[in-house]
Amino acid sequence: MSFHEKSAWVMGAVLLIAAAWYFRTVAAASAALGEVAPPLLPLVVGYIVLIIVLSIIAHILVAVTKPSEADDTLDERDRIIASRAGSFGGVLLGVGVLTGLGGYLFDYDGNKLFHIAFGAMMVAQLGEYAAKIWYYRRGVV
Amino acid sequence: MARRPPITNRVKELREAHGNMSQAALGKEIGVTRQTVIAIEQGRYSPSLESAFRISRVFGVGVEDVFGWAGD
Repeated sequence: MSFHEKSAWVMGAVLLIAAAWYFRTVAAASAALGEVAPPLLPLVVGYIVLIIVLSIIAHILVAVTKPSEADDTLDERDRIIASRAGSFGGVLLGVGVLTGLGGYLFDYDGNKLFHIAFGAMMVAQLGEYAAKIWYYRRGVV
Repeated sequence: MARRPPITNRVKELREAHGNMSQAALGKEIGVTRQTVIAIEQGRYSPSLESAFRISRVFGVGVEDVFGWAGD
């Protein structure tokens, strides 16, 4: 398994952990308020910091397991995979944001729109990493 | 399983005939990772035309001696 494939696995796991933490917090706050909780800057900052810290730790661990491949640059196959996976993530992001915007037209709930759009970003990133893993495993033609 | 490209190759055979050259060494010669050489050998990736030429030059043969069209 190449360094870039390992990186996709760990980033997928890191994003899952961070997304679970974010939406668990939003769900708890929404339950306490009795409506969709407003977006909170500290929560968003916390989400970003959590991803940065976990991804640094995870990548150090991945690099330590095979130092000789840790500085591998993207080769032609990696670039094709990154491009295709990025396109897939872009579609997911577009669908998610359009879903949020469509919902806003019916209930004018800006808080919900924010969380859906933010969630769409998370899903798009997760989808991108999943697509990378798929192409690395199954081949890119 | 993803569709396999209809391109065959003799990379592994030529590598072994070339002093049992390692996949990592071949990858370094042509500017790709060891995993990409593995993917090429297993038919999971068709290299770019540039890499195909680089591979054939490493082995001192023509591109058509390394790559072929399935069924030909």
